[in-house]
Amino acid sequence: MKTIDAKSKDLKTVNALLRERVNGVPLKVKNAAHLSGLAAGLKHGEIVIQGDAGDYLGVLNAGATIRVEKNAAKYAADNMTAGTVIIEGNADYGVAQYCYGGTVVVKGNAGDFTATMNKGATVIVAGDVGDEVGTYMLKGDLVVVGNAGKNFANYLIRGNVYIGGQWQSLGNNTKIEPLTEEDRAKLKAYFETYGIEADVAKFRKIVAASTKPFYH
Amino acid sequence: MAVIGAFCVSVNKEICLNARMPGKCATCAEVCPHGVYALDSFTGEMQVVNFNTCVGCRICAEFCPTNAIRINPAEPEYVTRYPWTLAAIEEVHYKAQTGEYLLRGFGTTGQTPNFDMITVVPNQISSAAPLDKYREACDLEVVIGEDTCEKPIVLKAPFVWAAMSFGALSKEAKMALAIGAAQAGIATNTGEGGLVPEESWLARGYTDADRTRKRWQPGGYLIIQWSTGRWGVSVDYLNSGDAVEVKIGQGAKPGMGGHLLGAKVTEDVSRVRGVPVGSDALSPCRYYDVQTLDDMKHMVAFLRDVTNYQYPILFKLGPSRPYADVAACIEAGADAISIDGLVGGTGCSPDIVTQGVGIPTIACIPPAVQALKDYGVHRKVKLIALGGIRNGLDAFKAMALGADAAGFGSAAEIAMGCRVCYACQKGNCPYGITSQKPELRARLDPIEAGHRLANFIHACTEEVKILTMLSGHDSIKDLSPEDLRAMDLNTAALTGLKLCGYERPLPMWEALQAGNGKGNGKG
Repeated sequence: MKTIDAKSKDLKTVNALLRERVNGVPLKVKNAAHLSGLAAGLKHGEIVIQGDAGDYLGVLNAGATIRVEKNAAKYAADNMTAGTVIIEGNADYGVAQYCYGGTVVVKGNAGDFTATMNKGATVIVAGDVGDEVGTYMLKGDLVVVGNAGKNFANYLIRGNVYIGGQWQSLGNNTKIEPLTEEDRAKLKAYFETYGIEADVAKFRKIVAASTKPFYH
Repeated sequence: MAVIGAFCVSVNKEICLNARMPGKCATCAEVCPHGVYALDSFTGEMQVVNFNTCVGCRICAEFCPTNAIRINPAEPEYVTRYPWTLAAIEEVHYKAQTGEYLLRGFGTTGQTPNFDMITVVPNQISSAAPLDKYREACDLEVVIGEDTCEKPIVLKAPFVWAAMSFGALSKEAKMALAIGAAQAGIATNTGEGGLVPEESWLARGYTDADRTRKRWQPGGYLIIQWSTGRWGVSVDYLNSGDAVEVKIGQGAKPGMGGHLLGAKVTEDVSRVRGVPVGSDALSPCRYYDVQTLDDMKHMVAFLRDVTNYQYPILFKLGPSRPYADVAACIEAGADAISIDGLVGGTGCSPDIVTQGVGIPTIACIPPAVQALKDYGVHRKVKLIALGGIRNGLDAFKAMALGADAAGFGSAAEIAMGCRVCYACQKGNCPYGITSQKPELRARLDPIEAGHRLANFIHACTEEVKILTMLSGHDSIKDLSPEDLRAMDLNTAALTGLKLCGYERPLPMWEALQAGNGKGNGKG
């Protein structure tokens, strides 16, 4: 695997190197935590970030597989449309916001406003999540293995939210439904695929109470 | 808009088709957005059932096949009964009955500080002689992103279409705006509702996706909007146009996000936005993925990166604190900044927000210009004035105040045929401009409407040229506040312009200007 040392390099230089060299060859990037927007808008390829990643990692990802060996700062996988982002450590505020597709996996904990306005992606957090997670989600799956903070899944419109732990408070326009066999099989497949230890039997499913919940 | 009570509705029964043949015609009831008319289902007779809801748009009169309808302003109740006019009373009743506030389309109505109390100063003998509009050239081009990106935008005239989304507008209206932009050499804007694919080639003047046949010269530009709802946004979307506009706010509802009510979320709109059919698409009021100005700088950096540093980055502001907001946009890395004033329109907004929130356009421009000057980027980072601009005269005044260009939103809709009924949010636009219903959309021919839009721009361009040259300039880049005078104290106080007769700015402005304008609009 080729390695790009991002130390002292700017975003334009590093992303240009990634686009140039990503053709069929997995790339490793080290010393990149100072860069906001690393690996932005890639349509294919496999990138491994050695160590921590900065803000907006993999923003607008459109097909690449990006793995962070440690933690990601704010807004990782922002506005992704396809591909996979795997964060082995924790993700700070707002991971996987505005995504239309693809898969985001956080092996540790994720911060507030995770998966806000998710429009079709699969977002899996193996640990706990903060407040306001899943706000105004419009489609897709959000899976939280641990616990959630306040206003969980607030103003959910469509899609499925699964949680294995507890929430501090549930958001507006939500209702709890029993898991179907299809749900259980789906969760089991997610956990097997991404090497997450979790007991599917403990999960609850939250769906939208209405598609028109707003007083406007 | 619920009850207005400002118009008398008269139907001439002698020529009304329905009066002569009950049941034969119900055109007025079909097209009226506000239920002024109703057909008696037993007799088939058309009746004026609620003239108090008439907003004076005169759509009924235009559609009436026999020209039988007259709409006339009623007595000025605003003067005689203010503040408890019929409209105010009925609004209270409406809220008491329904628990709902009023929603409507378009911008602020009524008297607000505007361009009309500013006059243009022509040159005579004491200053450089005026130039000849008919026989001499005038530079009207505006370049955005000249030194900051690989493909700057070169507007042939100092105009853009304001951002209006697919969803708020029909596909045909979006196509018309693109065709109009191509014919006039200006820029259209996706708005925040994703891309209508045709826009990307029509705006450049091509008739087909492969861009093999260029029909409309000189060709225009497409500005791609990046907004808080991020509807239909992908890396391909961002690369479909010629610039990216970061929307912070808009004049009709600064501090709120876009409203697209479920009535207009059809399958096509749903597909682009990712919202269920019939569900309201209410954009967030802020970016969930921006918490600080540094975040915004990083956002601009990655937008430049994913567009390969080719296109300019624009910002769009609502009318709030123009000096500080424009300063923040400059720091964030803007190549151009649109500032949308109080009167700016919308497809849907709470009435109180449209009516009562924001700063008038004429008061937004001077502080915005001062911020650009203080940062040393006036005329480099372009300023685009929006919000109630109706013609070349308003645009000229905005540019003499220091803007580089002006944008048309409401006026563009009117150029396509709109008569301002304030009911865009209902989705029943009889001209097919703000409706998603196939039978109404079929009434709008994108090519014909595009031609009307281009005509409108050509006329306004000539107006700007007249005013620029009679002021003694051969380039819009040379316009300045010296080309204008305020005609009343309020306007002089709001703008810092010299007051007619007094021939100086008001003393408070002189004090500011003596200090190089520092502090103008700050805080």
